[in-house]
Amino acid sequence: MSTPDNCANCPAHHKANLVKLGVNLDNVDYLITLAGNPNTGKSTVFNNLTGLRQHTGNWPGKTVARAEGGFIYNEKRYKVVDLPGTYSLLSTSTDEEVARDFILFGRPDVTLIVVDATRLERNLNLVLQILELTDRAVLCLNLMDEAKRNNLEIDTRALSKELGIPVIPASARRKLGMSELLQAIEEVATGKYVCKPPKIKSRSRKLNHAIETLSNKLLESYPGLPNASWVAMRLLEGDNSIIEAVRTGEIGNLHEEDVTT
Amino acid sequence: MEDTTRKSKGEDIISAANSARWDLGTDFHDSIIESIYENASHIARKTVKQVGEKEAYSFDLKVDKLVTSKWLGFPMMFLVLAVVFWLTVAGANYPSGLLASLLIDTMHPILKNLAASINMPWWLDGVLIDGAYLSMAWVIAVMLPPMAIFFPIFTLLEDLGYLPRVAFNMDNLFRKAGAHGKQALTMSMGFGCNAAGVVAARVIDSPRERLIAIITNNFSLCNGRWPTQILIATIFIGAVVPASLAGVVSAGAVVGMAVLGIFFSLVVSWGLSKSVLKGEASSFSLELPPYRPPRVLQTLYTSLIDRTVIVLWRAVVFAIPAGVVIWLIANIKIGDLSLAEHFIDWSNPFALVFGLNGVILLAYIIAIPANEIVIPTILMLTVLSTNMTDVGAGSGVMFELDSIADTANVLHAGGWTLLTGINLMMFSLLHNPCSTTILTIYKETKSLKWTLVSTFLPIVLGLIVTFFTTQLWYLFTT
Amino acid sequence: MLPLLQIQPGILLLIGLAVTTLLFWFFWPMNGGLALITKLIRNNKRALLEDALKYIFDCEYNKTSCNINSLAGHLNIAMDKATQLLNRLTTLELVTLNNQSVALTDDGRSYALRIVRIHRIWERYLADQTSVAPADWHHEADRIEHVVSKEETERLAAQMGNPVFDPHGDPIPTAEGQLPKHRGVRLNTLQEGEMGRITHLEDEPRSIYEQLVVLDLYPGMQVYVTDVTDKKITFVAHGEECILTPLFAGYITVEKLSKEETQAPKQELLSSLKIGENAEVLGISPNCRGSQRRRLMDLGIVPGSKVSAVIKSASGDPVGYRILGTTIGIRKQHADQVFINRKN
Repeated sequence: MSTPDNCANCPAHHKANLVKLGVNLDNVDYLITLAGNPNTGKSTVFNNLTGLRQHTGNWPGKTVARAEGGFIYNEKRYKVVDLPGTYSLLSTSTDEEVARDFILFGRPDVTLIVVDATRLERNLNLVLQILELTDRAVLCLNLMDEAKRNNLEIDTRALSKELGIPVIPASARRKLGMSELLQAIEEVATGKYVCKPPKIKSRSRKLNHAIETLSNKLLESYPGLPNASWVAMRLLEGDNSIIEAVRTGEIGNLHEEDVTT
Repeated sequence: MEDTTRKSKGEDIISAANSARWDLGTDFHDSIIESIYENASHIARKTVKQVGEKEAYSFDLKVDKLVTSKWLGFPMMFLVLAVVFWLTVAGANYPSGLLASLLIDTMHPILKNLAASINMPWWLDGVLIDGAYLSMAWVIAVMLPPMAIFFPIFTLLEDLGYLPRVAFNMDNLFRKAGAHGKQALTMSMGFGCNAAGVVAARVIDSPRERLIAIITNNFSLCNGRWPTQILIATIFIGAVVPASLAGVVSAGAVVGMAVLGIFFSLVVSWGLSKSVLKGEASSFSLELPPYRPPRVLQTLYTSLIDRTVIVLWRAVVFAIPAGVVIWLIANIKIGDLSLAEHFIDWSNPFALVFGLNGVILLAYIIAIPANEIVIPTILMLTVLSTNMTDVGAGSGVMFELDSIADTANVLHAGGWTLLTGINLMMFSLLHNPCSTTILTIYKETKSLKWTLVSTFLPIVLGLIVTFFTTQLWYLFTT
Repeated sequence: MLPLLQIQPGILLLIGLAVTTLLFWFFWPMNGGLALITKLIRNNKRALLEDALKYIFDCEYNKTSCNINSLAGHLNIAMDKATQLLNRLTTLELVTLNNQSVALTDDGRSYALRIVRIHRIWERYLADQTSVAPADWHHEADRIEHVVSKEETERLAAQMGNPVFDPHGDPIPTAEGQLPKHRGVRLNTLQEGEMGRITHLEDEPRSIYEQLVVLDLYPGMQVYVTDVTDKKITFVAHGEECILTPLFAGYITVEKLSKEETQAPKQELLSSLKIGENAEVLGISPNCRGSQRRRLMDLGIVPGSKVSAVIKSASGDPVGYRILGTTIGIRKQHADQVFINRKN
């Protein structure tokens, strides 16, 4: 089992307040989930946080099963669930369903989105989709070293303002930026940082109207439903797990249990 | 009460959604994605600035142009694969011998003596030490070293980013066979171990192509079958040409078998995609990730844990009961003959039509757990059924002989001819996957039907091929 | 020696050849022995009954009249058989007979809707997820609808995201039997200079539908009518000029479009891009459906995104395109479905 002391040889986060827990996951205080495109170094971030060694292939679709791990930071126990890397959450592949259902029904306290800084625009597609699902997220701007080599400059403060969530530049392979990342996770998990992500506006008036009508109907039945417009959109897409959740009324529980936690 | 009102509220919302869907038409999903991308590019424009040239990509592009070039692409690929296989075969030789001398030549007598010193009954000693222990030792000695070399190298190539380029180059060929370019990779992985190849098919994202890759993976000659091929080619095919050419010709025969396997893999893929698997999803896209320097140590560690140890463990778990069965059928007697001899006598006529013999059939039935124990089992059974007394270690005890000449003598005494040798090589290529692979196929497909198809399709093909080889042979030689 | 080996090798070879051929024939899935046997076992009575219900429902939906003559004609059966069939339907309380005209009861309507739903969902599936040719979708679904269970179809629908339109543009009834009102106008009612988007191609009779498929027409396609005479209608679809007789054009339903909604008529394809050239994506052809379409969009192929061809596979086919900072290999058959605007 790792202890804080043997971290002396990893310069970036020899923080005495981080204990990697590996797979020892009893009595956790917060649930973190890791999402991101394939090939963004998501698994490396996961390994850095938990001290596990999940294989990180330079190949999309590596993480097929869900990997879990944990760590202790500032005396709080965190459980980390690594989701399959996907380009989107809107299609019908199994990987995407797993990721979508976990973010929605698993109700993580923080969703850590790992993106490739050199391909920010491509990655933002998934980020915006995730922010439709959940408010509590942290963006890990990974591969910053590669971005520098590419002469890319990223205004992280402006990005954080646009997305309404903390944005942390990092280089997970060299273990840079991990302590800032942990701090941001803690702030969002404890509610010290209140995320205010934007909602996607579509150009099509017909579509906006349909979403609005439906989400109003949803809010009538389940006042305070946190992501009503997203649920409305999924209903229009014919997503079966959401239709079932609406049919059985489970969708309402989402909200009620949110209030109690 | 509350539940029912909730339900009707839900139904109400759903039917509202349904009628809205008809109004929105079919391009609704498109407009959602488009608006997300619009937002994304708006944000990216505001926050990302390119200061100066993009350095890294132009390097990647140069490498890509080279590895996908019309003239260099394929030769480079074959060279890389040849080096990987050479490293595996050459590198595994020494540790395999070491493990064999440790586990079989040293440990086995020690265990026998130990059993004798505590007066263990002969049958228990036979079942446990000659049966279970020996087959486990054999599997470890033959299987572990090549896998421990092959998988890390393969994983390094994967991490480097070279393998996606191989898939990119090979896609045209596989597309014509109705399969996915990434099948080139699962196929190459299958040369190491079919079970690992089947797992690797996860990288294929369309279900139909993935299934084709899984079913046809067994046509890749795996590590467990290479030694059989090499041994039989040396004894039977090398022997018909002058001694100076023997090495080249027998090596050529083995390579020919591997190529025949690739040919079958493509033909069966084509057949499946034209018939049973015609009707399922088909989408193709292949991301070519940037080249990244692999982290050697971590790769070694994870590929050992992820692939080698798991595969080895499954093989050992299956090999132990197989060892017990092998010992039992060689020692339980009905009348004068053991169960094994009864089966061999009974199945010989049938087997001879296919140019094989009862010993080979029985060996392939009981050696389903691991192809590695086929040769030791064949030797033991041949000695048993021909009542040789000067070789072997007793009934039910698998063995291998140090010299190829001795092995050849045993097989010739068992009535083997050049035709038997050729047919054994073909049957070794075209027979059911080992039990580890069958189990893996079931776990990956979660379908009994496809597991059965993957199991029996190669046997049927193998029997057809050996039948025609044999009958044509007879036709032209008599 | 044993008897088997006493046979001449040549004869044994022939026997083996025959056995192998038989084996292949028996297990060949499309029209092999096993498939023929299952086909024979299938219940023809049920198929006829369901086809009749579907036809009467179609008449009702399109507000055309329906009598025993037209039914016999449609199902291609003799009059006395059609009478028998109608009698059976009335005893089952699925239809009512009023003089000559036939009408569905509520039970009959919901039965018909169930069959229509199964039919259209399978058409959608065949179009989106299989390599079955467009002209065969309807035919194949006609066969499937009588044999599959409702549960199997519902599972399929859920997996495809509960589609609401079949590939011909017809709405799919919901599992509860809801169906929207008939919409759109026939193509032969459009005037010169008017634009429309195809919403539906009538899939029966098959000979006419095959003609429309040959012309490469599909729902979602925009048409611009250039010339109308008594004998023919001339229109432009995706840059190609098509001429149809008013009879044929009557089998196409369109939704009228105003000027702003239309796109530029002539477009180039992504596959025509040479290595080193750049372009902007205009859109994906409506003919590219299902998971392949979604996957292309997920990879960044959406209107407005920049794309350049960077490398070609050693064997020539997939070409690597640079899209949003990533190189993605796309096969020619899919690159043919993407419209671009070349840039230099």
